[in-house]
Amino acid sequence: MATDTQTPSTEDINTAIGHASNDGELLQLVSFEVGDEEYAVPILSVQEINRMMQITRVPQSPPFVEGVINLRGKIIPVIDLRKRFGLVELENSDDVRIIVVEIASRVIGFTVDRVNEVLRINSSIVEPPPSMVCGIDTDYVQGVGKLDDRLLILLHLEKLFTADEIAEIDQSSNAA
Amino acid sequence: MQDFLTESGELIEQLDADLVRLEAAGSPEEAQELCNGCFRALHTIKGAASFLGLTAVTTFAHAAEDTLNRLRKGEVDVTEEVMDALLQSSDIVKGMIDQLSEGEEAHEGPKELIDTLHAIAEGKTDTAGAPDSQPTGTGSTDDTQGPDQEANTDDSKPGTPLNLGPQKIDLLEFMITDIQDASKQIGEAVEGLCNDATREESASHLAEVCEEMEKTAEFFELDELTSLIKVLASVALKLNDSSHESIQEITIRIKAAKFLIDQQAESLNDQRALSWPLETLCARLTQLAEDGSIDPQVKGQHQGDVQALLVLDGVIQEQAGAASQPQVEASPAPAETTDALAPGSQVSEDKQPAKKEEAKAAEKTDKDTGSRSTAKPVAEQTIRVEVSRLESLLNLVGQLVLNKNRVLALTRNIKDLPIAPETAEDFSDAAGDLDHLMSELQVSVMRTRMQPLAKLFDRYPRVIRDMARMTDKKINLEIVGKDTEVDKSVLEQLADPLVHILRNSSDHGVENPEDRKAAGKNETGTIHLEAEHQGSHVRVAITDDGKGLDREVLGQKAIEKGLTTPEKLEQLADEDVFGFIFGAGFSTAKQVSDLSGRGVGMDVVRTNINKLNGTINVMSKKGQGTTIEILIPLTVAIMPAMVVGVGDHVYSIPLQSIVEIVRPEPEEVKSVSGHPVMRLRDIVLPLVDMRQRLDEPPIEDGGRFAVVVAVGGQRVGLCVDRLVGQQEIVIKPLDDSFTQGGPFSGATIQEDGEVCLILDVVQLIRNSTSSFSSETKTAA
Repeated sequence: MATDTQTPSTEDINTAIGHASNDGELLQLVSFEVGDEEYAVPILSVQEINRMMQITRVPQSPPFVEGVINLRGKIIPVIDLRKRFGLVELENSDDVRIIVVEIASRVIGFTVDRVNEVLRINSSIVEPPPSMVCGIDTDYVQGVGKLDDRLLILLHLEKLFTADEIAEIDQSSNAA
Repeated sequence: MQDFLTESGELIEQLDADLVRLEAAGSPEEAQELCNGCFRALHTIKGAASFLGLTAVTTFAHAAEDTLNRLRKGEVDVTEEVMDALLQSSDIVKGMIDQLSEGEEAHEGPKELIDTLHAIAEGKTDTAGAPDSQPTGTGSTDDTQGPDQEANTDDSKPGTPLNLGPQKIDLLEFMITDIQDASKQIGEAVEGLCNDATREESASHLAEVCEEMEKTAEFFELDELTSLIKVLASVALKLNDSSHESIQEITIRIKAAKFLIDQQAESLNDQRALSWPLETLCARLTQLAEDGSIDPQVKGQHQGDVQALLVLDGVIQEQAGAASQPQVEASPAPAETTDALAPGSQVSEDKQPAKKEEAKAAEKTDKDTGSRSTAKPVAEQTIRVEVSRLESLLNLVGQLVLNKNRVLALTRNIKDLPIAPETAEDFSDAAGDLDHLMSELQVSVMRTRMQPLAKLFDRYPRVIRDMARMTDKKINLEIVGKDTEVDKSVLEQLADPLVHILRNSSDHGVENPEDRKAAGKNETGTIHLEAEHQGSHVRVAITDDGKGLDREVLGQKAIEKGLTTPEKLEQLADEDVFGFIFGAGFSTAKQVSDLSGRGVGMDVVRTNINKLNGTINVMSKKGQGTTIEILIPLTVAIMPAMVVGVGDHVYSIPLQSIVEIVRPEPEEVKSVSGHPVMRLRDIVLPLVDMRQRLDEPPIEDGGRFAVVVAVGGQRVGLCVDRLVGQQEIVIKPLDDSFTQGGPFSGATIQEDGEVCLILDVVQLIRNSTSSFSSETKTAA
């Protein structure tokens, strides 16, 4: 249950900022990997990052809901982002983390393959999402950040965990 | 603000209850007392509202208060019309308070009702020869004195002045506060008068204040005060036309009047009335207001000093033996006046009464503080605590309980570890103590959340009264055991269902007076509301002596709705047939009334009760009445549960809904149209394969347990793989949209910190029986 937020080295930040002299606001992000892609969410929406813990399965919930965890007495749902993105399940490695975010007073956790770093990028290097990004419905891709050597997919958490999700829940509960 | 809302909310409830009791009050003394109670409640609300500048509430409360005042003096009879108006206004004030607590502005109350109230309150004043100072603000009453005028009966004012009766003394303190408030307002108005720009406004304000105070003074038969205020009021109305010089003269006299009023209020605190020779002051004031002229001899003599003026106008006698204590309140710049005044001796002489006054005031304050310090411990017996704090306290206790469970589990294992037996023993001792203390703490915290059912029950006489009025029935509500305490959340969730049941009972249960007579019953129907503790539960029973439920009609309806078949109906027990009234859309009322009969009610009632893990049952005898019995746990946050295993996972079942646990042999399990059932003694028990329900792969395993659960007479066996044991569980919400939809009512945390889901027995039973019966129906 230990909090495991990695503090970025100065180097990291420098590379991230790169040519930060451009105008545009600075975005503070947490980047993580799911599958082969690197994603990022705003650091302010992240409550904590935890190691994998005991997840209790909730029968008859949507397939991408891994279950619920006990977060210091509060029970919160955990989403498997791999399943959410339609990727193959992987054997849990030691690197797997649960990122706990708060979206519109809802506290939700989601599992990622690995948490990389906390970084700052200038919003000017973020481009709007292309119409199709590796099979992910572009709705919840907020933009793509072009770093020197890699691409960072900025996720829109509200859209990732609400709107269409609710529709799916309705379907699943109807089916049940 | 929050304090005001809470307190007013409570007062309104009190008011509501008192009003209903007032209507039914037998003896005049009782009525008088209730009346005073109502008056006090309204008055407090009004006072607080005007303090907070909530005009809408103030206006309304004031109108109602006027009416009550009349009632109290016996000038208006307690009639249904009057009570309707009063009850409605209490509703409206309540509505306003609700609006305010939701952070909205309170809407103006409906004008008609205010007018009605005014009509009741002042209809008499008009005929009784109201004083001249009445015209402002009451003009609207004339055209609205419709039916309610008739309610006013005898309007002769008691000719001889009465000594203050006990009930008036009771109200004296309100009056004093009133007077002091008014005096303060007069002071403000006078300041405004000096300024030409604000004069008009201040004058009308002054007139209003005076008018109101006049009523108060009249009520307490303080003739001199009344006449003084009357003069003030009439002067105020003429102020607009007054010249600048006369204003100076007038304002100083108004200040003087204010000073006198303040003194009067002081002395009233000691239940003594002061009296002064006021004629000169009044006459001069009136004259000033009339034509702006003043006896040149006295003009300007007072030099702006109130005391001097009072002597000048002969209110206070000159006295020797001067003490130079400046009267703070009365003169704007006392030091200056003493220096500058021509008749200096006169001024200083006049200070004496002021000093006396102050000495008296000081003495009084002493007395006050004295009495207050003795009163204080009583007042401090209770404190108001925000609900959210209690909630968080309860949450913490919940956490602690879970932690305790964990410690206990660890202690159990410690014996197997290679440590000294003494240490292990110490551990288990400590754990045992912890266990004990925890349960005590839990009970104590629970107790802070307990509230008497009176909070709910006291509202119901009103409900029944309204129902009776609307349906032209005579209904008497008997309440027993309203001191029974339940958890706050239980109380809240019980409110709506109970109102619903009561409405149903009075609307559908109790018959019309004629029908009752024909059936040989008392014309007045009785609804008996009873609450009592039963172990860890509270039983609430609502019994009416009405026509009862008709098995035939209900059965017929149930068949129409497809809830049962004629064959099955015959085998059903009465209780089960009556249980149909809880079905959605089930109403046997021939016509839907405004109040009930829409058929949504009882369904909602049952859902709400089930949410509380409670049960509801109906017993009825045709022609003799119906009893609806509700059994709810005292608290909802922590409860005992049976932990069972299905597949690799464990789930909790609230112990409350478990009837028994059986171990069916494989050959006992039969299948009825694809659904597993077993024979349990004389009933056929539908079984629910929990593996299937909880998405576990089916296994070939005969050694299963059937946990028999019951809700409202319906029984189902839940087939589980293992029984883990009984545990106190703390219920946590499982309310995220991702985790809803499954048959779970919440989750709890196990000894090892893992989450364990709580099975929603109601949903499981409903699903299984509905699929069961629909299947059997198609099969049949």
